[in-house]
Amino acid sequence: MNFASPAFWPPTTQEIVFLLLGVIAVGSAVLVVTTRQLVHAALWLVVSFGALAGGYLVLTAEFVAWVQILIYVGAIVVLLLFGIMLTRAPIGRSADLDSGNQIAALVVGVATAGVLVSVLVAGFRHAYMPLTPGAGAAKPLGSSIFRTWVLPFEALSVLLLAALIGAIVLSRTDIRGR
Amino acid sequence: MTDTITAPTIEYLLLSPLLVVFGAAIVGVLVEAFAPRYLRAAFQVPLTLLSLVAAFALVIFVVVKDGVPNKAAAMGAVAADGPALFIWGTILLLAFVSVLLIGDDFVPSAVAVPGSVEEERAVSEGAAHTEVYPLVLFAVGGMLLFAASNDLLVMFVALEVMSLPLYMLCGLARRRRLLSQEAAMKYFLLGAFSSAFFLYGTALLYGYAGSIDLSKISTSLSSVGGQDSLLFIGAAVLGVGLFFKIGAVPFQMWKPDVYQGAPTPITALMASGTLVAAFGALLRVFWVALGNLEWDWSPVVWAVAILTMVVGAILAITQTDIKRMLAYSSIAHAGFILTAVVATAGAKQNSLALSGILFYLVAYGLTTVGAFGVVTMVRDPGGEAWHLSRWAGLGKRSPKLAMVLAFFLLAMAGIPLTSGFFAKYAVFSAAVSGGAVALVVVGVVASAIAAFFYVRVIVLMFFSDPAADGPSIVMPIATRGVVGFAALATVVLGVFPQPVLDLASKAAQSLFVR
Repeated sequence: MNFASPAFWPPTTQEIVFLLLGVIAVGSAVLVVTTRQLVHAALWLVVSFGALAGGYLVLTAEFVAWVQILIYVGAIVVLLLFGIMLTRAPIGRSADLDSGNQIAALVVGVATAGVLVSVLVAGFRHAYMPLTPGAGAAKPLGSSIFRTWVLPFEALSVLLLAALIGAIVLSRTDIRGR
Repeated sequence: MTDTITAPTIEYLLLSPLLVVFGAAIVGVLVEAFAPRYLRAAFQVPLTLLSLVAAFALVIFVVVKDGVPNKAAAMGAVAADGPALFIWGTILLLAFVSVLLIGDDFVPSAVAVPGSVEEERAVSEGAAHTEVYPLVLFAVGGMLLFAASNDLLVMFVALEVMSLPLYMLCGLARRRRLLSQEAAMKYFLLGAFSSAFFLYGTALLYGYAGSIDLSKISTSLSSVGGQDSLLFIGAAVLGVGLFFKIGAVPFQMWKPDVYQGAPTPITALMASGTLVAAFGALLRVFWVALGNLEWDWSPVVWAVAILTMVVGAILAITQTDIKRMLAYSSIAHAGFILTAVVATAGAKQNSLALSGILFYLVAYGLTTVGAFGVVTMVRDPGGEAWHLSRWAGLGKRSPKLAMVLAFFLLAMAGIPLTSGFFAKYAVFSAAVSGGAVALVVVGVVASAIAAFFYVRVIVLMFFSDPAADGPSIVMPIATRGVVGFAALATVVLGVFPQPVLDLASKAAQSLFVR
């Protein structure tokens, strides 16, 4: 995995775009946990996921990028917003979103991030991968999913079915007579 | 559309136990959808039991017909090798007896608020969640896949297939519902957390080795240099996820709460089946993928094993709830098994240790299902008589039941002439020959501490006077059968363990495929 890496200066357009997307992703992720409005948190999450999708796109993983947009931005955040609206949670500015443990949470969060970032830096400081356009397209991914990874793929569908049944068990109210 | 994908090769016969269990679960879902409410239980119970028996028969058929396969199946995703087939048989047997324990333990309507009018109406209408049977089958299928997965991605998917239905089932106890829901919530949050650890470890190891295949990670240990931080942190983080599942200290916090809150048949399934499956996966990761890294992980596993044995045994003494006590005893037993996990050296020593572990898993699994079966039989008006003081004088009211429970507890303590003795002997002797003498000394001391609280329960049952309004004994025929079978197995494995020991050592002989 170690190829001869080109000089860092001058940076290519790709690298600049990737760095900018990274800054956007991290910045909006911080805003998700610091904003006092629940709906704003969900919307900042859209920005964060979108920037991440852009990062995938720069790395030629185009299929993953579109899946990220469809599933996370399109489905999960919309689900979150519906959840907020349908459960009559307070939509405006709410002061009680901050927990009393925020200092401890901050310390733990920063420490964890420190460990993980330093591990990644130590591990991949010299790693360089030349990108081949089309390697992350739908076709190579599809053929490897339905060949090498066919069993975990099928097991995942079983997992989704089990989760669905469980959700029905926990929420069904149609006891006879209703 | 000229070019096509080459079809993957799937060894359907080898995977048939797995496919039968998942298939029966899906048929069970269809039964829920189409059968009228009053017929559902009549369909689900035989379907579940028959599929488990059929899967067990298929495991035997596969072994008899083709012998033990020596390479991974389904495009390298599943390693149905000797140990895996033995573990499959064990899990299916334990799941079968746990399903037989299911009686009136489940809530009639999970969505009704505890103690509300809706709940009373659901009870009076005789409502029931027969979905628990397909959910149990999903969990069992996940256990089978977890113990046999040959790469970390399959292992993660199997971990989720196993855990997700169990999170749900934990929250469905009919009595002490708030406790049950709290247990399910705790298990879900902590379990999700540990899954995230597992996934992060997988990602780091992929970064190190460039593959998530266990055998390729093993070969990359000697060829990749200069990225040790990825390897060590990845292995450690992956280990956190696995140690959580077996409930090793310091990741044991969920176990007493969850075992206490879950419906007792589900507790029995978790204490036996999940533990077996998790040890199968743990061994695969540490022995196959990280086998050549043994000098680095074995001190950590030493420390975890010592902590697990000692903390499990000591905290069990202070418990007053019988299910919590059995949970702490299960933590201690996980520690005893860990003593053999570190006892690796050459292939011969490894297969000795592995056969010890396999025998221990069978013996402990059957004993613990039997003990939880007895717990379901002793009833107060409000459900199971969970507080230990209610068990006082049980030996005078119902001597046979008390004697059976005493026997199970003695087996867990490892008294000779019970299966527990040979199980402990097998793992401890493997640990001694593997050079872990100090660990065995700690293990023996922890066993002695553990024996104290087992004997305390026995003394309570036989030598104190029964309360005037003592608990009543409910003996459904199936539960009686399970307890009888578990007691018989505990005796037979304690007096004449040779056939099962032989089977275990034969299964362990070829070790894990690579």
